[in-house]
Amino acid sequence: MRSAAGVRPEPIAEPMIELRGVWKGFGGRPVLAGLDLTVARGEVLFVVGTSGVGKSVTIKHLVGLLRIDAGEIWLDGRRIDALPERAYAEIRRRVAMVFQSATLFDAMTLAENVALPLRKHRGLRAAVALADARRRLEEVYLGDLADRFPAEVSDGVRKRAAIARALTLEPEVVLFDEPTTGLDPQNARRIDRLIRELADRRGVTAMVVSHDLASIFSTADRIALLYQGRVRACGTATEIRASADPVVVQFIHGHASGPMETPGF
Amino acid sequence: MSRTPIQHPGQVRRAVTAVGSRTLEAAAAAAELGTVAAQATSGAVFGYWRGKRPRGGIARQMYYVGNRSLLFVLVTLGFVGMVMVYQTCLLTTKVVDGRNQVGAQWIRLLVLDVGPSLTAMMLATRVGAGIAAEIGSMKVTEQLDALRMSGVTPVRYLIVPRFLACVVMTVVLTMFGVASSWAAGGLTGYYSFQINPRIFFDLSMVAPAHVVVGVIKAAAFGAAIPIVSGFCGLRARGSSEGVGAATTAAVIGSSFAVIVLDLVISFVAMTAFGAG
Repeated sequence: MRSAAGVRPEPIAEPMIELRGVWKGFGGRPVLAGLDLTVARGEVLFVVGTSGVGKSVTIKHLVGLLRIDAGEIWLDGRRIDALPERAYAEIRRRVAMVFQSATLFDAMTLAENVALPLRKHRGLRAAVALADARRRLEEVYLGDLADRFPAEVSDGVRKRAAIARALTLEPEVVLFDEPTTGLDPQNARRIDRLIRELADRRGVTAMVVSHDLASIFSTADRIALLYQGRVRACGTATEIRASADPVVVQFIHGHASGPMETPGF
Repeated sequence: MSRTPIQHPGQVRRAVTAVGSRTLEAAAAAAELGTVAAQATSGAVFGYWRGKRPRGGIARQMYYVGNRSLLFVLVTLGFVGMVMVYQTCLLTTKVVDGRNQVGAQWIRLLVLDVGPSLTAMMLATRVGAGIAAEIGSMKVTEQLDALRMSGVTPVRYLIVPRFLACVVMTVVLTMFGVASSWAAGGLTGYYSFQINPRIFFDLSMVAPAHVVVGVIKAAAFGAAIPIVSGFCGLRARGSSEGVGAATTAAVIGSSFAVIVLDLVISFVAMTAFGAG
């Protein structure tokens, strides 16, 4: 399988993430309706679709931030959807998440934000965790801003600090929720490059929710288009571009009218 | 033409479904409130002291709850003291002149009931709204999810410090509020009804049991405000509109909790000790 970014490593038969027949509804309205999706170890899978189709909901289930109504979720061969909240601590050490709006804590400096998972998950002392956090921030060229508060820095810096926080525990899987939204093109491509490097150099599995077509086609190993609570199409960038499915065609070309039903329109 | 439910089974089904759905939602909310209360209480009594906690977390909250509310409580309870003493003196002088009893009865009522409950109601509006707005904003901006991902339990991290601060500072503010209300009442009695301060400031009607019940009430109210307000913040949905709704619910819920707890504690104290 080829991606737009080049040849990716041989796919591993053993899947890292599996969602089997997942259902989830809010207020009686189903968002996910029997979703099936598999992500291979070390793969970068982009989950795309219109707003409100359940992309963020899908990835939040993988770390227990939301609970499914029916179906199964498997992580590295272990079923995780029925685990109690306490048992998710171990999952959250292995699976990190970068939220859409950075979600840094206002009362903490960037270094303190990055140090928090080290203190809570690994039980490091504050001074040791802070020293490690500064090193992590230097890796993303934010060493000079380590003592700044989130309100004192730009969106791009906040997003990079949030990524540093997510990577601080060296996770096996990283979930990105619209990582390039609100960023200028230059910063957006840096984030894309970072995601690609994580997969290629460290073998990290990445699930990325995105609307950014440039990001999707330059970075993804595979792309899954969610529509009406299920995966409508899944394949490499080339396969998705070549798809004759009118829903896929409408989405990737951004046509305002077509067969695709968009909530609220 | 008259319509009966039998002719429109769909309407009956929808009505029953709506009632059932709301009942289930209310039961789920009650269970969630119970969970937050249990986590906050156990976190305050056991977990918080064992584990690591943010530096200055409780002190910062005590400053916010206590110092920042002091003037508000002093002024409000002072005015309440003036109004209550004035009205009571007016009434007592109309039937039989009982002005000399007003001060002693007023301090008994203040210590036992009015002081803790009014102070808590004031804090429910100021502190409760602040807690719900802050936690609600964190909820809708996914900061609570980020906390959970960082290995932090939101209740323990956000509500427990506020719980401890509120319990302590509600008791302290109640003492200041009682003093302010009694003093303001004494001045009103002196200048408006010529009640001798030596007679007004009479503690003979206050028994130690009244003080104990008053402190228990203040502590219980102080515990209820962050639990109810935090719970409302944790349930915030959507965007700024959801935070606004959570804030409103927090003020109403906290005030209601204070009134219900006041009734329950008064009943228990009256039944058990005759000091309700």
